Amino acid sequence: MIFKVAWRNIWRAKVRSFIVIGSIAVGIWAGLLIIGFSFGMNNERTASAIGTTTGHAQIHHEGFDAEPLSNAVVADSSAVVALRKTVEALSFVSGTAQRTVLGGMINSTKSARAVRIMGIWPEEERLQTTLADYMVEGDFFGATGRNRLVIGEKLARRLGLKLRSKVVLTFQDSEGNLNRASFRISGIYKTLNATWDEFHIYVHHEDLEKTLGTPLVHEVLVRFEETVDTDEKAGALAAVMPVGLAVKSWKQVRPELGFADDMMAIMLVLVLGIIMMALLFGIINNMLMAILERRRELGMLMAVGMNKRKLFLMILVETLMLGFVGGPIGILLGDLSTRAMMRIGIDLSSKQDGLAELGVQSIIYPEIVPSYYLIIAVMVITTALIASILPAIKALKLNPVEAIRGH
Amino acid sequence: MSKPVIEVKNLEKVYEGAVPVHAVNGISLTITQGEFTALKGPSGCGKTTLLNMLGGLDQPTAGSIAIGGADITTLSENALIDFRLRNIGFVFQAYNLIPVLSAQENVSFIMLLQDRPKEEREARAQQLLEAVGLKGKEDKRPGQLSGGQQQRVAVARALASKPQFVLADEPTANLDSQSTANLLDIMERLNKEEGMTFVFATHDDRVIKKARRIISIEDGKVLSDD
Repeated sequence: MIFKVAWRNIWRAKVRSFIVIGSIAVGIWAGLLIIGFSFGMNNERTASAIGTTTGHAQIHHEGFDAEPLSNAVVADSSAVVALRKTVEALSFVSGTAQRTVLGGMINSTKSARAVRIMGIWPEEERLQTTLADYMVEGDFFGATGRNRLVIGEKLARRLGLKLRSKVVLTFQDSEGNLNRASFRISGIYKTLNATWDEFHIYVHHEDLEKTLGTPLVHEVLVRFEETVDTDEKAGALAAVMPVGLAVKSWKQVRPELGFADDMMAIMLVLVLGIIMMALLFGIINNMLMAILERRRELGMLMAVGMNKRKLFLMILVETLMLGFVGGPIGILLGDLSTRAMMRIGIDLSSKQDGLAELGVQSIIYPEIVPSYYLIIAVMVITTALIASILPAIKALKLNPVEAIRGH
Repeated sequence: MSKPVIEVKNLEKVYEGAVPVHAVNGISLTITQGEFTALKGPSGCGKTTLLNMLGGLDQPTAGSIAIGGADITTLSENALIDFRLRNIGFVFQAYNLIPVLSAQENVSFIMLLQDRPKEEREARAQQLLEAVGLKGKEDKRPGQLSGGQQQRVAVARALASKPQFVLADEPTANLDSQSTANLLDIMERLNKEEGMTFVFATHDDRVIKKARRIISIEDGKVLSDD
């Protein structure tokens, strides 16, 4: 009957209860939207990084990371062909591409910067990545010609380079000798990840080979059919690797994407915490009002023998009920609107430049993350529990004689 | 000779302040089982203070109160709450029913606090409401009942816990004469038929006329007792 009393008490002050329940619902709704939006944005970032540049996994010589020198090659040319055949035979792999990767310097007449030189097989690169779709000027190794170079827009600006500007690249060969070669800008790209654009330049592998002597394959990019269970798939990939080669999933290749996930989880908990704090005060206020209005009744209950434990329980149940009504409404609203926006997308094209810095597209498709429903439910219940303490203490402190007389 | 239900010895209550007020100033009295007693006196005479102390709602400054032989002035706050629940029935001037519960539920609620089983609660609530003449109004909420009817629910509630006695503080103050007569008849009948002890604090002549023992109080002292 305590539940019945608590339930009916909620509806005594309808407007007030509606406001509190409404604020709980709206708070949760907003929380779920933020969660959906954040996850959508992060997934977008990840998908874009995988699609344009990184692939789902990469195969390197195991010494490649420690010392990305030109002699840390995957294998010689014929062995690479065999390796790629083996990899492409795996059911979850959709394709591979190979790259020469060199650390080096780019010099313009204005400035110099350290870069990573990606020596690519353009037709493969076009098949396995979407970089060619992100050209802002020129083309992606479309026309024939020698010593062509495709550069990120941000880097080009830093170096004061335009289409057809000449630059000099300096890089090491497998013996450790420094080589120089001049290139001409044939294309300028701009991906959604400005950091990538600032550090990576693309050249035709043949042009490097003229200087290096032999084709060097430092990296085999692997694309999966789907971006799910990438760690497991990378594991399966590693199982078919010969000794001396290492497989890294996109999370290991681009750790900043993983950090962003962790950061976001912390941010979301903070945001939810702030929402809950606001709700906490709203609920406390509501319950204090309710206690104040019911002084006589509570005094009577204490006079006739309702013990403190039961009185506390009654107020606790009443507070929890506010959460139990508001919570599901908020979750339902959040779920429905996130689903709706998953179809339509949130257009943020007016903020395009800022988003590009973060590596996201201008239309964000939010995502439903069921585990957060549970987190929110727990948070709401906890909030209601905490919110009930102060009003309950207030009620327990009532003096029955005075309360009954309405003093 | 009936056994004593309430035994008060040298009871004093002093409200501290710039000028200490002796609300109750050395009252001794005994109330035995089956009495129908009115404490009468003008406002501020100390009768409500006395009643509150008899009900364990207020602590005396000095003296002792024994209910059914047990001294209640030494009980802890929690023990006192439990003691009230099991031994004392209360009827208040302003009825003080729970507005969100029906008449039946209001009566049952006390028994719920006593952890009585559901069947017993329902049967007894039904029986008590019938006894106070509210058969057919079990499902009405206080807001749907007249003042007299609400006070009768309050009487049923007071009896629900099977107390040793019922304390009623100005139970008729808000009632018209017809409702007052009804209520008094019901309480008198419960007193006679079931031997329930009633103690009223009142200055309502209609109540005083019905009482079989009238204790007059003035300035915190017993003026007369007959």
